[in-house]
Amino acid sequence: MKNLALVAALGLSALAMPALADDYPQRDIDLVVPFAPGGSVDTTSRIIAETANSILEGGELVVVNRGGGGGIVGQTSVSMAAPDGYSILAMTSSVVTNPLMKGATYSIDDFRPVALYNLDPEVIAVPMDSPFETAQDFIDAATAEPLSIVVAGIGTSHHLSGLAIERVTDMTFNYIPTSGFGAQVQAVVGGHADGALWPMGEAMAQAQAGGVRLLAIAQEERNPDFPDVPTFQEAGIDIPIFATFRGWAVPAGTPDDVVATLSNLMQSVYEDEAYRERMTNAGFVPVFRDADAFQAVISDYATRTGAIIEEAGLGQ
Amino acid sequence: MDAILLGFQTLATPMVLFMLVTGLFAGMIVGSIPGINDNIAFAVFIPFSFAMPPDQALALMVGVYCAAATGGAIPAIVIKVPGTASSLLTAEDGNAMARKGMAGRALSIAITSSVIGGIISSIVLLFFAPSLASVALRFGYVENFALAILGLSSVVGLLRGNVIKGAIAAIIGLTVATIGFSPVTGFPRYTFGNINMIEGIPFVPLLVGLFGVAALLDLMVDIFRDRKDNKPLSKLPEIGSLLLPRALMRRLWPVWLSGAAIGNVIGMLPGAGMLMAIFLAYDNAARRFRRLYAGKPGEEAWGEGVPEGVAAPESANNAVTASSMVPLLSLGIPGNSTSALFIGALALHGMVPGPLLFSQHGNIAWMIIVAFLVANLLMWPVAFLVIRSVSKSIFSIPKEVLVGVIAMLCFIGAYSDGANTFNMWVALVAGLVAFVMRMTKIPLGPAILGLVLGPQLESSLNNSLLISRGDWLVFIDPINHPISAGMIFVSALLWIVPVVLNFLPKKAA
Repeated sequence: MKNLALVAALGLSALAMPALADDYPQRDIDLVVPFAPGGSVDTTSRIIAETANSILEGGELVVVNRGGGGGIVGQTSVSMAAPDGYSILAMTSSVVTNPLMKGATYSIDDFRPVALYNLDPEVIAVPMDSPFETAQDFIDAATAEPLSIVVAGIGTSHHLSGLAIERVTDMTFNYIPTSGFGAQVQAVVGGHADGALWPMGEAMAQAQAGGVRLLAIAQEERNPDFPDVPTFQEAGIDIPIFATFRGWAVPAGTPDDVVATLSNLMQSVYEDEAYRERMTNAGFVPVFRDADAFQAVISDYATRTGAIIEEAGLGQ
Repeated sequence: MDAILLGFQTLATPMVLFMLVTGLFAGMIVGSIPGINDNIAFAVFIPFSFAMPPDQALALMVGVYCAAATGGAIPAIVIKVPGTASSLLTAEDGNAMARKGMAGRALSIAITSSVIGGIISSIVLLFFAPSLASVALRFGYVENFALAILGLSSVVGLLRGNVIKGAIAAIIGLTVATIGFSPVTGFPRYTFGNINMIEGIPFVPLLVGLFGVAALLDLMVDIFRDRKDNKPLSKLPEIGSLLLPRALMRRLWPVWLSGAAIGNVIGMLPGAGMLMAIFLAYDNAARRFRRLYAGKPGEEAWGEGVPEGVAAPESANNAVTASSMVPLLSLGIPGNSTSALFIGALALHGMVPGPLLFSQHGNIAWMIIVAFLVANLLMWPVAFLVIRSVSKSIFSIPKEVLVGVIAMLCFIGAYSDGANTFNMWVALVAGLVAFVMRMTKIPLGPAILGLVLGPQLESSLNNSLLISRGDWLVFIDPINHPISAGMIFVSALLWIVPVVLNFLPKKAA
């Protein structure tokens, strides 16, 4: 009887002990994708999970789709999950803007960044038969009179990138909100609008296929696949980088060693050549930034967009 | 031609063909169960497909996609419950035929129409995809607005007698469609602070409610009525002979061809979808029927068991499946929400739909195209097998048990779209609303059309006017927007002609 009590007490204390990196993970880890299956976050998460599970010991990374509310439902669920490392959010830039614009109840401080795996810079794309051959043509035209520019929706990061451009140049845009990338391609390739602000990941295939022309890319250095396309700064738009990001975050309060374990896991995944090839084929440039560097990216994005949201009166 | 052969070679491996046939059976069953549709089936399946080779995964999806549009007709005819939204109209004449002891004939017409519609559009996809893709590109915001107007106008033809109730239904649909983000301002509206409604009422659970849950309530009323009258439960109609007389085939050919043509055109246009195709085809067939057969001896009244009423929507909805792949494969633009899920499945296997697909993964691209043709050819025997075996046993289940089974499937289906419990509430409330609408004889069709076309109407109108700088004449501009002008003109005729005919003196019969 005494022994049994002892065993029970030991068992209880083992449960109550904080997870140490040595014995983490002991069971499967949920990687929560706050969207339905089939989207970019879902696709990249599954590619990561496949490689991660060949490395991870003690448990599996399980992709869980928790859609609804434009990502807010799944994001909120992770913000309220136990900070034990068994709930990871596939975190996108919308985590920064949703509390400001869409009334999400969590705050960005409810999450602790783990690692970044993809940065998707904004590009200016025009139809192939557009009169704008260069970024300068485009800038001149948009300075003379507003150009009709397709964006994914009012208040999306692509709309915000347009507002950011308007802030630092004399250009003006007439935003055409079009949901769904397919419909946007139809509008631009079909020549129904003057151009679009798109994420590079999705624009790339259309540009390579010759449906659209890229005029400028919002990142610090030129893209090796498009050596002739200038960066925003080279084109005369003073924005060094404007990119949506994809990474991992865990609930605030998750122990340091667990975050380190997950960050190291992501690094090992990144170092796998087959993984990088799969990501590239799916249209996403694989990168790796650890927790601190990812935090810096998030803070930079938050500062940049916070000011724009306030100026444009998009907050609520 | 080499490319097509390559597609056949990829398809003609035992495992890939096996997956295609499995998909056909699965799709037929998924389609024939109210409350579950191809969207839900894909949402559940896509994560699994990650572990499969791409050719097998996509073959299975093609099978499910083609067969689900056909399977929906089975419960529509037998118990007047559309298995999928695309068989909404089939339930009218199809079930009327079944009640007159011709369930087998109605089912046979539905399947044959589906197969013919599917084959025609597969052939179009096989040979004309690249040239037709450029037609899809001509559809900008202005054309999409005109198309939505045309779709809504097709309802007029369906509203003999109860125009007011039809209008109420359309307004209900359009109103519900305004919930969620305003595309114009980016602010949420009518969400009552509920985060789950921020992108609008989730559409898949909504359909589950309108068709599945509402059917459930209907069945329960039936059971209570029978109990009250102390009668043994009324039996479901016998399926009976599936043979189609030759004269009937001859009579239906023009309907099949025009239904397939409408489905082909609508399927290619992004944002239109199956519902618009079935409404236009049904409306078109109704006009032809009134011109040629109505009032003749031995003919039923429209809506009370006319074979054209089954043939038109069924040939149109299956024509949409293959043709919705035209813009998807050649441009990366999905024709409807189901074909959009193919993008996800392709992306999981490192492929991006669009022009590059043919150069980088030609075998897969052509296999998908060829698979549509083969799927539609194989669908005929599969459909008869399913009706003779599975459907027969499903419909021989006692009604009380059927209610429980459908209830469970509806809520699982609603939940599995996003793993969100809110969806189950959506399905329940939508089911109650649809049930009340049926009790008060407000037609469901116009409401669904309003629901589907509402967002397209609003955002295409807004965007057209933004681009034209507020000039409303763009919609009827015959030089820059001839397609739009044409569609607006036809829509106007749909409204005006019945009114004018009413005022003309009636011809002596």
